[in-house]
Amino acid sequence: MSINADNLTKIYRLKKKQAKTAVDHVSFTIPDGEITGFIGPNGAGKSTTIKMMTGILIPDSGSVSIDGLSFKKNRKQIMMKTGVVFGQKSVLCWDIPVLDTLKLFRDMYRVPEAVYKENMELFSEILGLDEFIGQPPRLLSLGQRMKADLAAALLYNPDILFLDEPTIGIDVLSKERIRNFIERINRERHTTIILTTHDVSDIEKLCKRMIIIDKGSIIYDGTLGELKENYGTTDLEEIIKQIYLAGEQEAAESRADQLCRGA
Amino acid sequence: MRKYLDYSWIGIKEHTAYAGAVRANFVSKIVYLYMQFAMWTALFASNAGKDVPMSRDGTLRYVIVATILSAFVECDVIGRINQQIRTGDIANRLIRPMDFRAMVFFRQLGTSAAGLVLYALPLTILIALLYREPLVCSEQLPYGILSVLLAYLIQFLYSLIIGLMAFWLIVTWPLNMLLAAIYKLLSGAWIPAAMFPDLLAKINLFLPFRAIYAIPVSIITTPMSQDSIRSELGVQLLWAVILFGIAELTWHAGRKKLIVQGG
Repeated sequence: MSINADNLTKIYRLKKKQAKTAVDHVSFTIPDGEITGFIGPNGAGKSTTIKMMTGILIPDSGSVSIDGLSFKKNRKQIMMKTGVVFGQKSVLCWDIPVLDTLKLFRDMYRVPEAVYKENMELFSEILGLDEFIGQPPRLLSLGQRMKADLAAALLYNPDILFLDEPTIGIDVLSKERIRNFIERINRERHTTIILTTHDVSDIEKLCKRMIIIDKGSIIYDGTLGELKENYGTTDLEEIIKQIYLAGEQEAAESRADQLCRGA
Repeated sequence: MRKYLDYSWIGIKEHTAYAGAVRANFVSKIVYLYMQFAMWTALFASNAGKDVPMSRDGTLRYVIVATILSAFVECDVIGRINQQIRTGDIANRLIRPMDFRAMVFFRQLGTSAAGLVLYALPLTILIALLYREPLVCSEQLPYGILSVLLAYLIQFLYSLIIGLMAFWLIVTWPLNMLLAAIYKLLSGAWIPAAMFPDLLAKINLFLPFRAIYAIPVSIITTPMSQDSIRSELGVQLLWAVILFGIAELTWHAGRKKLIVQGG
């Protein structure tokens, strides 16, 4: 399934008539079956954009359409086809075994028994899910918890998968396994994946395309190769650092400019 | 349907995850019941029942039945919704092909089922052994059960509305503290509503609280005419409809207001 964001805008109203434009007229298209990296510094508007794309937040203006479907009219239909993992917010019920949450998802998304079995085998094989499926999340390590969260999001074979910092706080080996898993899912099931992360190696390993967002606007939308070519280096971390820094300087200059004009 | 039952099952498992908490809960209910029993017995002994609209036995029947009901009618819906909104965990609920309110309701139903089996039933057996007087008007019991079901619905809707206030207030516990005191008093959970002074009783006629304890407990424990049973059930039905409407409005207005907290 492809995703189309058209002029998305979200304004957070703070106290006393102050407002902060978190996302400012953002438009992009993510084609079917692609893994797209969605990156930006903290507070750039990534998460807000993701939350509008998943129908959690209602945009102040603009629209999101998924294979031509809109949240206003086809909410449930979209939800049935979308998987989401928030690295910092688990979907698992804290006090009860992981298996119970997975069974809930099986019934909620009407997963046929054969697909459920097949997926559970796959998750056990690659993620080692069977080792901790009987335990409640409160007894799991962060890496295990993340694997269980991934399993929950993929149990119903979604066509679109949103991964919001899926490798945050995970050790290198587990990270590697999670990445391989994501890659395999994309390859075998042709799942469209949107990945936000602060870990450059996640992007190098998984994404062909990158969207960089800063201060609520898109500042780069293209392939990884082009970006490296433009900057004349293959060090992605360095490139991203430069981009963020340029953004910071620009903001500082415009603030100084405003101050001068004010004086 | 299975997804709803899954939620109820999760509610049961969550409530019983910590055996120590269940035991402590049960003991606290026995202590509370004993306190109520001792207090009312002492009050009637010192006053000889002058100027009191209810008899000693009628009052004891009332407080016993009210305490048993509270073991499964009371819910932590307010706190749970509140926490989900405050921490942003609600995001994980809003991306599901299932209504948020249905999720909360069926999970609560599970918690109540656990409360019924773990607290209400043993308390009833204990009382049957220790208190030899007749407790209920058996011919009114079918109406009483119907009334308890309506009371449960009203209690849930009321909690849902207050919980959803967090869309605006983010933290609702101060509001909840204030309302909890009013709720406990006016619902008749502590003191039979029939003992209220005139003014309070009149105010209470226009509030939903007495529909939660005063009405069902009176129908179960006090002989009443068919007409007054019917009109009391009508009052409950009316409140259920009104609160359902308010809950709908609060939900739809609140969804637009939502800011998902924390990244």
